[in-house]
Amino acid sequence: MLNATILLQILWTSLATSSYYVLFAVAFALVLKVTRIFNFAQAAIMTVAFYSAFVTVQWLEWPAWAAFIVMMAITLAASFALERIGFEALRKRGVSVMFVFVFTFMVSEFVAYLAMLAFGTWPQTIFPTIFWPVTLVGNIAVSAWDLPAIGATIAMLALLFSFMRFTRMGQFMVGVADNPDLAELYGVNKRQIFLVAVLMAGALVAVGMFLYGTRAQVLPQTGLSLMLFAIAATIIGGIGNIAGAAIAAIILGVIQNSSILVIPSEWQGLLLYVFLFLAIVFFPNGLRLPRRRRRFATATRDIGGSKDASAAEGQV
Amino acid sequence: MEYVDGIIIIVGLYVILATSFNLIIGYGGLVSIAHPVFFALGAYTSAILARNFGVPVPLAMVAGMIVALVASVALVLPTLRVSGDYLLIASIGFQLGVLEIIKNVRFTGGAGGYTNIPPFLIRDFGRESYVALVLVVMVAVILLVRLVARSDYGRAMSAMRDDELAFASVGRNAMWMKLAIFGLGSGLAGLAGALYAHYFRFITPEQFEILQSSAILTMVVVGGMRTTWGPIVGALLLEALPQAITFLNLPPSVLGPIQGLLFTGLVLVFMFFRPQGLVPAENVWRGGEETR
Amino acid sequence: MGAVLDVRGLNKSFDGIVVARDVDLSLQPGQVIGLIGPNGAGKTSLFNLISGVIKPDSGTVALDGARIDALKFHERVSAGLSRTWQHIRLFSSLTVLDNLLIGSADYPGERLVNVLFARGRLRTHDALAREKALAILGKIGLSAAAGAVVSDLPYGQQKLVGVARALMRGGKCLLLDEPMAGVEGQSYAAMQRVVREVAEQGVAVCIVEHNVAFIQDLCDEGVFMFSGTILARGPIAELTRNPQLTELYFGH
Repeated sequence: MLNATILLQILWTSLATSSYYVLFAVAFALVLKVTRIFNFAQAAIMTVAFYSAFVTVQWLEWPAWAAFIVMMAITLAASFALERIGFEALRKRGVSVMFVFVFTFMVSEFVAYLAMLAFGTWPQTIFPTIFWPVTLVGNIAVSAWDLPAIGATIAMLALLFSFMRFTRMGQFMVGVADNPDLAELYGVNKRQIFLVAVLMAGALVAVGMFLYGTRAQVLPQTGLSLMLFAIAATIIGGIGNIAGAAIAAIILGVIQNSSILVIPSEWQGLLLYVFLFLAIVFFPNGLRLPRRRRRFATATRDIGGSKDASAAEGQV
Repeated sequence: MEYVDGIIIIVGLYVILATSFNLIIGYGGLVSIAHPVFFALGAYTSAILARNFGVPVPLAMVAGMIVALVASVALVLPTLRVSGDYLLIASIGFQLGVLEIIKNVRFTGGAGGYTNIPPFLIRDFGRESYVALVLVVMVAVILLVRLVARSDYGRAMSAMRDDELAFASVGRNAMWMKLAIFGLGSGLAGLAGALYAHYFRFITPEQFEILQSSAILTMVVVGGMRTTWGPIVGALLLEALPQAITFLNLPPSVLGPIQGLLFTGLVLVFMFFRPQGLVPAENVWRGGEETR
Repeated sequence: MGAVLDVRGLNKSFDGIVVARDVDLSLQPGQVIGLIGPNGAGKTSLFNLISGVIKPDSGTVALDGARIDALKFHERVSAGLSRTWQHIRLFSSLTVLDNLLIGSADYPGERLVNVLFARGRLRTHDALAREKALAILGKIGLSAAAGAVVSDLPYGQQKLVGVARALMRGGKCLLLDEPMAGVEGQSYAAMQRVVREVAEQGVAVCIVEHNVAFIQDLCDEGVFMFSGTILARGPIAELTRNPQLTELYFGH
């Protein structure tokens, strides 16, 4: 029976659980915007983040705050390695877009198999339990997880926003995202900016996985599905539009969670792939036109020569 | 002998998969990881038609091939209209999504798998006849792809990969070619799936998962893209490896990940240090001459 | 009057920059028109708009009296509108001869069914195309380079190959984007010959060029573009003597 209470409940829960989706989407969108790379290796970073927290809490039995710090450190280290060892090498060689795609995707697969080997294929969570105490607000059940999750997400987004708006490096980042060669001419160190972007994405991912892993079960392959969600949100939100990706993530998250009302649970997993498909076919340029009008084809051409016919000649 | 027959058939099928994937990703330049899903569609279609609807196996196999082909066009048509770069993302979604459907639907047997698939040839002519069938199809596929790559079509594919805008500027239609290449390659994967189904007579969704994508990609990348022998070498090598590992008597929970690590690890290593693969392709397209 | 190419009222802006404003252009068979103007005037963009690489905001393009606005880039080429590129776009994995062969008007090898079931057709077509290609290569003095890899050729010759490839189509209208940039000596003379001959055969040619001598030699008429607008039309000599236009040209 559908009534206001149930609706509100679902809305609240899906809003709260959109928190990690937003972080994953923003991370993906940020790297894409600044480095022009579709970072399919984000799933690897996510897997690394989760399992480092898991090991710290469940094997080392350290307290949660320690686990968070350890997780953040390891995730940032992994992001550092990804950018400095992986992406930089690919950039230096001037490899094609296909190469980057396959490479980053294989990295995620590799890490997933490592996780399978080390941790097995049964579901894990960061804390031994994912049950949180619930308080009733009106008739809505609010989990003790909900508010901190939303709070953490807002905090991270606020940090990101202030960084990009108010710090010099943040402004350089926006410049590099817009026109990397021009930014270089003005003395901006592209290399450094790329690294900062990837590290920030790593931080977002770490927080996101901590949230996810304290509320839901994780398998070695979970990173991949969560990343696909981030990709769908990024595409729908508009390539180059970080705020758009965040909003799309919230909307998709709410839709996915509310779908339990209309779709049997076995089919819920499929919804994600449907989103992805719809995103690509119907909204390749995003639901809202990105302010910088960077067409997708032009954006990826810079990573190594997409000679796609949809990329128009640039000369005037 | 049954064990050896099984291995030969598996290797033969992987050669078909690697060769057909080479057509798509190597010659066509279409980046997609959705090959195992067409292998699956061919297998399930043929199996279900033969078992539930009594369709004679050869016809069911052809139907399997056609379903795979049509599904591939359904994947490629909408996404290529947008941009070639989206194809990879869409293929990931397609591969994972269709398998999700297979796992949840009753008439495919769900996650438990589909059993009692009608046999073919073995009852009347013995196991060796099936082995012969697979090998014959394998050789036919190899020759077919080789023929296509060395013909005028191969010249067109080479030009299309080089510069799609210039390709359009000489009046050639890249879209149709991509559809045809993807359709043919995926259809052949579907045929391999049907052949698999009627020999082993039991299929589960697990057999067609992302691990297979990595395996096939590895065979083509490590073997050498855009060559005739590359996928063959790759398939042989990558089927030999798991067999070698089984001798180590590892538990299945470890075996799977180790195989996965080997496949993905090999792709990464080769992409980094020897991107041309074991059998390198020529830089220049030459038609009708001896290609490797 | 039977214009081969009839462009009317073409408009396009990108990011607030007007790339084409109310552009009208018409080409008669056998006519050679020079499109001149400073860098950034919108000349290449005009070619892109006419050939269908970019969509105009408004305006029409007709080829031989028939509107081609609905046709995609490769379809316009098939209809008879060929173009070359400012930065040559040859197929680096193909030899010079193959670069030409892939440009032939009819290419049965483009369809998989033909490759599988109509080998005879492929063979016949191939023989004819080869003949035509070698003839064209002969005219531009590059017969010896037929089997060469394009990256081995000097720049000027690569440009010639680009034009030759566009000629394989045997279209009605040819747009040449800076064919002489970076070209000198024998290739220069060959390019001139080619353009003259093609025009004599009734093809309408429009050339974007900075090389004034080349334009003066070959073009009947010139069109001066600036900031997306056509400022003047007329005999080349008149345009080049006009002090205001010269100032616009060199002022940039």
